[in-house]
Parts: sequence; C-alpha cells; structure tokens
Amino acid sequence: MISYKIRFLLFFALIWNFSCQDDRDKSDFGLTYPDYFPAPHYQFGKNTLTREGFELGRALFFDPILSVDSTISCASCHSQGHAFADHNTALSSGIFGKTGNRNSPAMFNLAWHPVFMWDGGINHIEVMPLAPITNDVEMGEDMFRVVAKLKKHSNYTKRFNKVFGEKPIESQQIFYALAQYMSMLVSVDSKYDRYRQGKESLTSEEQDGLQIFRNKCAACHIEPLFSDFSLRNNGLEILNDDLGFGRITLEESDRYKFKVPSLRNVVLTYPYMHDGRFRTLDQVLDHYSKGMIHHKNLDPLLMTNGQPGIPLTDTDKVKLKAFLNTLSDFTFISNPLFSE
Amino acid sequence: MNRLNKILFFAILILAGLSSCKDEPETKKAGDVTIEFDHVWAATESEFVLNKELTHPLLSEKMTFNIFKYYVSNVRLKAKDGSYYTMPESYFIVDADPSGTNKVVIPDVPGGEYTDVELMFGVDSTRCTSGAQTGVLDPAKGMFWSWNSGYIMIKAEGTSPNAASGSFTFHLGGFKGVNKVQSTKSYNFGTTALVVDGDREAEIHMIANPARLWHSADKLAVKNTNTMPNAIAKTMSSTFYDAIRFDHIHN
Repeated sequence: MISYKIRFLLFFALIWNFSCQDDRDKSDFGLTYPDYFPAPHYQFGKNTLTREGFELGRALFFDPILSVDSTISCASCHSQGHAFADHNTALSSGIFGKTGNRNSPAMFNLAWHPVFMWDGGINHIEVMPLAPITNDVEMGEDMFRVVAKLKKHSNYTKRFNKVFGEKPIESQQIFYALAQYMSMLVSVDSKYDRYRQGKESLTSEEQDGLQIFRNKCAACHIEPLFSDFSLRNNGLEILNDDLGFGRITLEESDRYKFKVPSLRNVVLTYPYMHDGRFRTLDQVLDHYSKGMIHHKNLDPLLMTNGQPGIPLTDTDKVKLKAFLNTLSDFTFISNPLFSE
Repeated sequence: MNRLNKILFFAILILAGLSSCKDEPETKKAGDVTIEFDHVWAATESEFVLNKELTHPLLSEKMTFNIFKYYVSNVRLKAKDGSYYTMPESYFIVDADPSGTNKVVIPDVPGGEYTDVELMFGVDSTRCTSGAQTGVLDPAKGMFWSWNSGYIMIKAEGTSPNAASGSFTFHLGGFKGVNKVQSTKSYNFGTTALVVDGDREAEIHMIANPARLWHSADKLAVKNTNTMPNAIAKTMSSTFYDAIRFDHIHN
C-alpha cells in the first residue's frame, strides 16, 4: 500500500511535470533582445522559427557530417566558450589538416548583420554556411552530397520532416535550420548590458573607459551592437594578397577593407584582426594609437590631424581595457541552449 | 412600328451572331508552351554537343565542352491584345547535357494567340539576395557562388589543348553594379502568332551559340578561366546573350 503522503507527492510531481511541460509549450520561442537594440536585419521570412527548427540547426552545427571526411563541424572552429570564435588560434584547421587564411569570426547577434565574412562577400545569413561547407580548406563538401548523407539517417529525416513537413530533405531546409540556430545566438547579458538596464553600475575606471570608447572608438563600433558592420581599412600592414572587400567589389578603393567586428565578448575572442595577427588587446590598442600605416584606403575616421592614429595615453588604454572587459557575456558562453 | 420591331429583332440577332463569332477565339483552352533552346556552333550553325572537339571560328582554338548550362528566368508571353501572361516562379537551367534539359516549359498558359516572348537571361537580383532557394535555384545545383553571394548565370567548362592547363572553366555572373550580366530580351514571332489551345502543340524555338562567348574575349591560350563576377563575365555573357535569336514556332 502506498501511503497517502507518497500518493500526494506523486500527484504533485505529476502536476508539476505537466505544468513544466505547459510552460515550455506556451513560452514564446523567439528572438528576444533589449529595447535599446534596433530591429534585427534578418526577419526569418518564410523560415518559421520553432524550437524544433532551432534544435535541428544546433544538431547540424555540431555534426561533422557536413564535412567531406566527417572530421570538421561548424563547432570545430566556432567554440561557444570563445563566443563562437575559434579556440584562440589565428587561422583555423580544416579537413586533412589544411589551414584557412582568415581568423574564424565570433558568432553572436548575427540576426543584426547585413553582410557576412571578413570581406562582406555574403549577403544573407541563410547562405552563409554554404561558404565553410564548400570551401576546400574548411569542410570541402558539396551541398548535393550533404543532402544525400543526411537522407541516409532516419533520425535526421524524422527531425527534418517534423520541422519542414513530410518532404525530401533539401539544402534550403539545412540552411533554414542553421539560420534559426545562428540567429538565436543572442549575446545581451554582459555587465555593459546590465549597466544599460540599470541593474548594475560600472566602476569609475570602467566608466572612464566607456567615455574614452565613446569618444574614440564608437564611430565604427556603434553601440549597442558594437559594430556598424561596414567594411573599412584600419591601417594594418599588408602582409599578404588578401584584398578583403576589394576581392568582392573589384574596386581599387575597396582593397584591404575588412568588416568591422563587434567588440562584444572581445576579451574572449583573441587573437584579433582578419588574420589573427594580434594576440592581445594591448597589441590592438598599440596598433590604433601608433601602429597604423597610411594606406590610401585608410578610413578617414582613423586619422588625427592628417596623421594615421588615435592618440591614447597609457592610462587611457588601461581604462579602455577595463571597459572592454564589461562586454564579456558569461551567460551567453555558458548557455546550455546553445550547447551540443 | 411593327417593321421597326422586325428590323430591331434581326439587328439584335446579327449582333448576337457577330459577338459570338468574336467570342470564339477566347474560348481556347489553357495549355503548355515550350521554349526550346537549340545549341549550334559558330556562324555555320553546325551542331553543338558536349564531349566533342570543336574549333572556335575566331580563336582557331580547339574546345571540348563537358558542361554548358545557363539560367533563364522571368518568362512572359505577350498576347495579341498587348497584355502579358507572366509565368509565376519561372526559373530554369537550360543545359546542353541530355541529363538536364534544353526546354523551358510554361505550364497552363491561358488559351489565345501570342506574338512575343520576353525572358531574362540570368537570375534577377531579388533572388540573388533572398537567402536559401529551392528547385533550380538550390545552391546544391552548383550554380551559386559560396564566397560572393549570387548565381553563376552561365557555366562553361571543358578541355582544350590550347589552354595552358589543358582545360577551361568559365563561371559567369554578377547581379549588380556595372558588371551585372542579367539581360531581359524580347522576341517577336513575326507574322504567325503562337496559338495556345489545350493540347495543341505550342513550341518556340530559339537558337543559342556558345561560340559567341568568345566574340570579344581572349584566346584560351591567354585566359582559360574566369570564375567571378567582373568585366570579363559581363563581356562574355553579353556577346552570348545578344546573339540568342528566335528561330521559329511550331503550332
């Protein structure tokens, strides 16, 4: 005989389970962001965001099946602990030990990006994964074969059918699912965000750093996304023939321009620049204060009195770094929703 | 009065008869229209097929194509009364390889008589900027640039003893700016209209000549590959598109 007490507990547990389930079903699964954010660039369109679609995208993101020899997944070069940049390597490793030629960019708040890649060559979040999947030194696969491989997995077929209806898997479904996952990678819980929301205050050093940032950096790294996503030349020494944006537009005036990265999570995403040439923030700040070369495409915003450079004292740099530290979002990098 | 009534009665009968005569063409049934692209080689318009060695008339170079395909989209038919029938979602890959198709089929065209066909060579800029697509626009078709979003509007690949590498690879496209390649063309059928009436055959025959790609382009010995949107892609695709002509209709 089960005692009344236990029966009561069982009953309660049952109710509890149901209510949990209910909450989960009723909770709006969607893109949420603070009111000081602009509207996202990506509005999903025909790609209806659902929990199952997002989870399918997450499964694909972590599955090396997308690469030609099943060794490399998206997550191989985009690690959550580093705000989905690589594990602090300048250039990432692809299939057969091949090395890429640019630094793996961090991945968060992607729904606000109008263009992708360091050279801005990709115009839509849905077709973004096509590049690493098909690139010879990254995953080296083609979409036709990816679709064929996924079709062989009954589990994937089931999941795709659940999200997209009873029809054969095709590349659009893969891109839709990945776009759902990628768009949901929203990083909005840094100390800076809590400061913006009035939940936490900055130290006086961080506060000073914010002022310096607003005076000297915020023209390109616009709050609250900390980038305007434009393509600019920032006076890096030219070390190879990577033309950046110039490769896309073929314009002389766009050569050696690269996409302005967001500074959110910047402390977590070293090394820096499109080729990962700087290992530390100190090197980056030294570059901007005294290391820029006067390339003819150098962004005018980086000139002071006709000379390249943004003057920063040693104290400025200490304060700036204190502020940049407030942009790390530890909730984001440990959110189990985004993990395998 | 009586006589007037009689006259009116007959007048009405005649009018009714006339209008029913007039109505008759409009009762034609909807049917499919097929646009067939016949591929020819050089001014002699000899047969163009894949995997056969051809000699380019201007370059005097040998070419054996193993891929030749291109996008056609946004098909419209102009009716005798000047109105247009626009096919929804009209995107096609015209492929010289028999595993693909050289036919563009426009289903369920309203019955009637048509005088012109209008189509776009290439893919419109909207579809080049709208994310993941399906059908012939599926990037899995290998006709979409991964690193520089946009469709490869013409793909021509093959071998040539004249090319330094022994092969040639031309992926031509570009949907914006000065080098945009897509081109909308209209072709008039001349004196005979295309009749669409149910199962009645309605075929438009077009002639396309891949040799035209090299009418203002370098020899393969100089340039045997171009796989990005640029001025070369613009020139090569324009000379090809501009030479595509209407040949005849089958009714």
